[in-house]
Amino acid sequence: MSDDPRFKPLKEQDGFAIIPDRWKIDYFASAGELSRFFLELKENAKIMGTRCPSCGSLYCWPRSWCHECYVDCEWEEMSPRGGVVVFSRIEINLNDLQQMQPPFIQGSVLLEGARYPIVSFFRDVAFEDMHKGLPVKAVFLPAEERTGRIRDFYFVPE
Amino acid sequence: MSRVAVVGVGNTPFKARHIDKTFQRLAYESVKSALQDAGAGRDDVDSVVYAIYNDFFERCAMPDLHIHYLLGFARKPALRVTTGGATGGYAMRAAYAEVASGLHDVVMVVGVEKVADVANVMEMIKSITYAADPFFEASLGASPAGSYGGAILWHMENYGTTEEDMARVVVKNKGNARNNPDAHSPMDITVADVLSSPMVIYPLKILDHCLNSEGAATVILASEEAVGRFAGKPVWMTGVGASNESGRQAERDDVGDSLFPAVKASVDRAYAMAGVSDPAGSIDVAEVYDSFSGVEICLYEEFGFCGRGEGARFLADGRASAGGSNPVNPSGGLIGGEHAIGATGVYQVVEVVRQIRGEAGARQVAGVKRGLAQSMGGARGAYSVSIVLEG
Repeated sequence: MSDDPRFKPLKEQDGFAIIPDRWKIDYFASAGELSRFFLELKENAKIMGTRCPSCGSLYCWPRSWCHECYVDCEWEEMSPRGGVVVFSRIEINLNDLQQMQPPFIQGSVLLEGARYPIVSFFRDVAFEDMHKGLPVKAVFLPAEERTGRIRDFYFVPE
Repeated sequence: MSRVAVVGVGNTPFKARHIDKTFQRLAYESVKSALQDAGAGRDDVDSVVYAIYNDFFERCAMPDLHIHYLLGFARKPALRVTTGGATGGYAMRAAYAEVASGLHDVVMVVGVEKVADVANVMEMIKSITYAADPFFEASLGASPAGSYGGAILWHMENYGTTEEDMARVVVKNKGNARNNPDAHSPMDITVADVLSSPMVIYPLKILDHCLNSEGAATVILASEEAVGRFAGKPVWMTGVGASNESGRQAERDDVGDSLFPAVKASVDRAYAMAGVSDPAGSIDVAEVYDSFSGVEICLYEEFGFCGRGEGARFLADGRASAGGSNPVNPSGGLIGGEHAIGATGVYQVVEVVRQIRGEAGARQVAGVKRGLAQSMGGARGAYSVSIVLEG
């Protein structure tokens, strides 16, 4: 018997028919022009950004064109170092995508030279010691654990 | 451009689950009540805009299509708007444009959401999490609360706002909901009750969160030329402002000390259009997007009801309360009243219209001439709509 709810009989609750159902769609999504970010992350434990050749803005997360200048950006390796911008502490498991045991600290880091912060996790730091501007550096999972997603790295205090 | 009036409003009661009704039935009941309010029939309606946020909730990728013909509107135009928590607000704006442009004389906005068919709250939050940037942020499993939590912590650090201050928003809004017979969560609670509720994302406890409601709301708009066809006194939409920000949690250009720059931009546009130059002196009532308690404190500042960093003081002085200078969320807002997401921005307009008409019952604010309805969605208010209504 399948555990897929779509093939289970309906239930009755207070005289109403309750229909078990599930949406499940699998993907093989192309990262297209952004592919190098994910490949470098997985293969070489590097965080790649992009720089606008016109205004000089350095973007990470990378964007393949500059929204100000409307020209294509060029790939550039980011420094793994930066400063904390905002943060909060997650106290409970909110869904099965989270995959982290709460409590944990989530927040944003402005990498050196970057125009905008990126969102990530913090480890090896007490919540009480977190503050805006705290210097942090990225730590990468070992090669065999990296999947080419942004969960492949997190930040610790310098 | 034609002036645009609200000529009919209606809604269902809001609650955690309408187990006895489909999303189509909820839409129908709110439409029927709005048509009755307008003294109109469905043949008077030229076009419909549906405000339905999330396909996962309704278990359908085109829920509007499966409502429209059941309302008897086959062979009439309709579109659906889905912009997160600002779905209802943006739907109001789209309908406004259809009327103001002269495309149609009478346009109806139907907001509906049925969220509790999702198996449980974790699955519901997951379906919202899928709104994140699919390449860079969705795999974090980050919840909407995380993006707001960081902003609220910033407000605490920079302005000394406290968890007690935020708890006062909850006490006010759940208390206000006691005067709203359609409210989902009326409660007589204290600051201590809020502070002792379980922590979810510091500094936000479970009672600091908005509701997840089911229900529907409908607004009927008419051109100046068509207003005479309907019963009752029209309420005019005099200002409509919208603005978006980066869809990513952390990416914001430095725009001074505004924590919600899209809200600021949208409300400034709505004020300019309506000729509002002194919001604190001229907005008599506001129904706003208190997705989390601390957010409402930030919003007082974005709206110009008080200065930067003065939001907590504004609240503590009673200025946002029913008898205050700028009552905020007399319906109970999203924390006490309802948050049937797609319906919320529509229901805010319904409530402000009732206030202007003097039909708000026990929650009526005295002498309302002008009101503000404001909704937002996406990471930390990345979508924002502000609407000024006047009698």
